[in-house]
Amino acid sequence: MNLALKDTLHAPTRFALTALGVAFLVMAVIGMTGLYRGIVEDALLILDRIDADLWVVQGERAGPFAEGSAVAADMDRRVEGVPGVADVRRFTQFSQQFSFAGTSRRATVTGVDVPRDDGHWLPLAEGRWLSGSRYEAVADASTGLVIGDQVPLARDTYTVVGLTRHMVDSAGDGLLFVGINDASVIAQRRTSEEIHLARAARNGAVVVTADASSVAQESKIAAVLVRLDPAADASHVIAAMQRWGDVRVMTTGEQRDLMLNARLWKLRLQILTFTGLILIITAIVVSLIVYTMTIEKRHEIALLKLIGARENVVIGLIGQQAALIGIAGYVLAIGLSWLIFPLFPRRVVMLPSDLAQIALALALVCAAAAWVGIARASRVGAREVLS
Amino acid sequence: MSGAPVLSVRELSRHYATGAGMVRALDGVSLDVAAGELVGIFGPSGSGKSTFLMLAGLLENPTSGEVWLAGERVSHAGADLDALRETRRRRIGFVFQKANLIPFLSAVENVALSLEIADVSPADARAHGRRLLAALDLAHRADHLPAKLSGGEQQRVAVARALANTPPLILADEPTAALDSVRGRQVMEIFRRIAGTRGAAVLVITHDPRSTDLFDRIVHFEDGRMRAKKTD
Repeated sequence: MNLALKDTLHAPTRFALTALGVAFLVMAVIGMTGLYRGIVEDALLILDRIDADLWVVQGERAGPFAEGSAVAADMDRRVEGVPGVADVRRFTQFSQQFSFAGTSRRATVTGVDVPRDDGHWLPLAEGRWLSGSRYEAVADASTGLVIGDQVPLARDTYTVVGLTRHMVDSAGDGLLFVGINDASVIAQRRTSEEIHLARAARNGAVVVTADASSVAQESKIAAVLVRLDPAADASHVIAAMQRWGDVRVMTTGEQRDLMLNARLWKLRLQILTFTGLILIITAIVVSLIVYTMTIEKRHEIALLKLIGARENVVIGLIGQQAALIGIAGYVLAIGLSWLIFPLFPRRVVMLPSDLAQIALALALVCAAAAWVGIARASRVGAREVLS
Repeated sequence: MSGAPVLSVRELSRHYATGAGMVRALDGVSLDVAAGELVGIFGPSGSGKSTFLMLAGLLENPTSGEVWLAGERVSHAGADLDALRETRRRRIGFVFQKANLIPFLSAVENVALSLEIADVSPADARAHGRRLLAALDLAHRADHLPAKLSGGEQQRVAVARALANTPPLILADEPTAALDSVRGRQVMEIFRRIAGTRGAAVLVITHDPRSTDLFDRIVHFEDGRMRAKKTD
């Protein structure tokens, strides 16, 4: 007979509550890991999907995902002429606050070079891609917009023609795709007073000063995306463009590295630290639970020893109960995670490999907890039956 | 006394060092119990009865002396108690003042457990457990948890558990102390029957003078020594 199971079924409410407690701890680990995965995945969405080999960004800068970047509005023409370049697309991205249906919303406006960019890299949940005409937008569902919505941006009204899902930036704001020219207009929006003040400062003259930018800050084009000819040598193309002096050319790999190891480094470290902390707390709590259960069963363990039960009977009782708690806690945690995490504002990605690693970690925690209980049980003498 | 001794203790002593000096809980006791014999051990509290049972039951090592079971020396001052677990499982059945049943197992499971840990198949163990409970008039209570049984019923389940492996030696420590006179008498009659029909050597420590007529032999302990042996 399975003593662990018998004992568990004898006090099912207590076991359920214990398993639920463990489940919440495991769920926190799954949540932290999933949040980390979600942030990384969101941050790399554009980089991984936009199908570019090289990113031409402002000189001495690290590109639009790391810091401000602006290249000349006609930079794409220059890049297009470099041998080895198959095609180019202009790109920009910035956060935008806007009012819609009486509420203030946030989106990350992403300017794509339509019609050169046919949007093949972007799976649409509904509607169609940008046709090339002005004042159209493709919005992520997380912005709360639906197809047909009329969104006022800058001084124009944009019609939502397509919807994506799970397309957000590293901060979790939904992406709003518009044509690159529309994006430039939205980015350059200024109040009338700002324009008057700027004109007054220049006294109507065209001035080019050191801080007026040699790379046309007004253009609002953040980068030019390059696809290389299959036979092209990337290093030669990069070297050719970097000789211009006013641009920096980065590979997609370098952009990924910057995103993960520069911009998101502290966040990643913090999340991983919290994950580690929760695992330690889980280990302590599960160990205490198993230890307490062992102490409570001291009399039964002594009796088992008295009637001559082998040590493996006692080890089985404690080990199997630790395993039951772990398995029930893990299964409950998975179920709760599936129910609760989709309601979270940020995406929580539960990868099978992560879940497997968490299961392994929990198995080790339960094994350690069982070891603590077994070590205590081994000190129980048969004569304690009489105490 | 008839037949070869199932239990034989020789010059058994157990001394404890305390702040007040050396306590001689048991001091040079020798006793043989034969198969089929029901022996009662009487004596006041602190006379060494329970210490004797601990040593005879291989739950504690003697300071000096030896314990023999069926002609085999099993315990002495340096014996490994943990290694004696197997001997306890096969050769000794215990009954205590408290039934000490496992609360999350039914009556029949408590009995069957003794067999399962001796590698008897669960189905056979359970069937034998039911037979034992039926023999002790507990067939109708076999599937009840200990909490649902009366004190007397619990004690009979404990007796059935002690008998499960058909051990040649039954050691009982105050088995009737928590029972009323009727139930106490019933339990003692069961021990009498076990000794008579199964040929087990049964050693019962008791304060209860109401069942002295059932014993083959009564031994009195006092101050850690065996005072006298009395045969009815």
